[in-house]
Amino acid sequence: MRDSAWAAAFPGFLLPRGVAEILLKDEKSAILGRDNREAMTAIEIKNLVKSFGAVKAVDDVSFRVEAGSVTGFLGPNGAGKTTTLRSLLGLVTPDSGEALVNGRPYTSLSEPLTEVGAVLEATSFHPGRTARNHLRIMCTAAGLPAERVDDALGQVGLADAANKRVGGFSLGMRQRLALASALLGRPKVYILDEPANGLDPAGIEWLRGFLRHLAYDEGAAVLVSSHVLSEVEQTVDNVVIIARGRLVRQGSLSELTSNGGEAVRVRSAKAADLAPALEAAGAQVELVDDGTLRVRGLDAEAIGQVALDRRVVLTEVTQERSDLQKVFLDLTEGR
Amino acid sequence: MIKLVKAELQKLFTTRLWWILLLVMLLLVGVFLAIFIAVAGIENNGASFPGRDTPEWAQMVWASGVQMGWIMVMVLGVVMMTSEYRYQTITGTLLTTPRRAQVVAGKLITGLVVGALFALALLVFQAIVVIPTVLISGGELDLSASHIPQISVGILVSMALYALFGIGLGALVRNQVAGIVIAVVWTYIVEPILSGIPVLQVVGKWLPGGAASALMNIDIDTGLGRPDLLPAWGGALILVAYGLLFAAVASATTVRRDIT
Repeated sequence: MRDSAWAAAFPGFLLPRGVAEILLKDEKSAILGRDNREAMTAIEIKNLVKSFGAVKAVDDVSFRVEAGSVTGFLGPNGAGKTTTLRSLLGLVTPDSGEALVNGRPYTSLSEPLTEVGAVLEATSFHPGRTARNHLRIMCTAAGLPAERVDDALGQVGLADAANKRVGGFSLGMRQRLALASALLGRPKVYILDEPANGLDPAGIEWLRGFLRHLAYDEGAAVLVSSHVLSEVEQTVDNVVIIARGRLVRQGSLSELTSNGGEAVRVRSAKAADLAPALEAAGAQVELVDDGTLRVRGLDAEAIGQVALDRRVVLTEVTQERSDLQKVFLDLTEGR
Repeated sequence: MIKLVKAELQKLFTTRLWWILLLVMLLLVGVFLAIFIAVAGIENNGASFPGRDTPEWAQMVWASGVQMGWIMVMVLGVVMMTSEYRYQTITGTLLTTPRRAQVVAGKLITGLVVGALFALALLVFQAIVVIPTVLISGGELDLSASHIPQISVGILVSMALYALFGIGLGALVRNQVAGIVIAVVWTYIVEPILSGIPVLQVVGKWLPGGAASALMNIDIDTGLGRPDLLPAWGGALILVAYGLLFAAVASATTVRRDIT
């Protein structure tokens, strides 16, 4: 901005030609500089297209993921999530479009493990190799110090199983090991394909906390795919939904959830008395059953105030916020 | 590249296959050596097998184990490549090293190294068995008459290259079982027939096995007449050409393929 202000203050015709050119060039490089910063978006998918034979697996998908946020990449099985992620990681060559990490194709990163941590599938281990050896080989190939192996195993809670052969691991343990391999290079971008598969509820809860830690404490960009909305609903800031290879919707979680209109569910023995009072306060009220109301246009606090004024005892006040599941099903199945 | 070769060696030595193959190779070679020791000097239908104290016997015995060596290192090469696909570890390998030509080069170099290590093990084992046998039988170990140094070089080079052939074959077929079957049938049945039967040797001498025999300069009348082989330098050239061919196959099949 300062450069363009300079250029405006000293129009070219008042200045010797060379100086004007330098100023214009400065302005240009300032703009380029801004472009470069934009290009440093952690993950950027631009108009990605990929077909396998006659099947269009990914059809013109674009989105980006910024540092310090968790983005859920959602869609039913076979929607093209894995193909998109594999294109991003240089495993699949797209027909057209771009998939960039830190502004560059993955295959041009010189030390990829220090920039990107990826979890693709929990089955990609040699069953006869121990967890530690698996990670040690990756460290050797990537030129990372061997101490990272035990650090990473500790971080995912596998320190005790380090010397066990992966063949004896449960699916949940394999997922943790896959996550450990993503942590080796302490990257700032994480690309995780269905990492919750095979985890028990405690494991899923642990994964949620871990992803939040990576994004909010370490400032990483996290892209996590899932075909089960509820797995990621409590973790993600942004959502990208695809179905049949096409982008269906993207936006922040709150944008998507508010889409159906927020309602509050109110239960009371005197629901019938309460309804007119709430309507008088400006709400639209729907009588769900004898003791239950569905209220729109007032938040929980306002509803409580009305109930207090009317001296009506409330037995339940619930924010009915997520029909995201419904939105998800509508968006993915409706087409 | 050194990092990648080290990683490939770790891959091999952190699974059990290498020592199983090494053990099988030495056991089978041991059986061959025992037979050669037992039949030495026996006359049969007027043709006599060379005695244990002759340089002909030493030459024959010294070259007898290499075929087993070829089978084992080629299988090892096949497995080095196909297990990446079988267990999908190729994903992790390519995430760590996204430049695929480097991954292939690392594997090929590692194949050469491991093939040569197997050859060294074979040579040491043969030396432990053959040298005392010759000396106890009252013979003298005549290195030039028995061609032992040249055969040893041939064993070293050809086994290193057969491991590389295995990697190329593995990259081409990707299916582990198919790759192993092809490697064994080729080295154990097809090549010996084509390079052992005189009329077929016009073909056989151009195959890797025939070229390796030429390099080793094996000059033994097996009862079917002296083998029809290329000169040693020709054998060396043919072997290197096969090495380059399989290396090209390995990279061409790996560099572009979508890993899904």
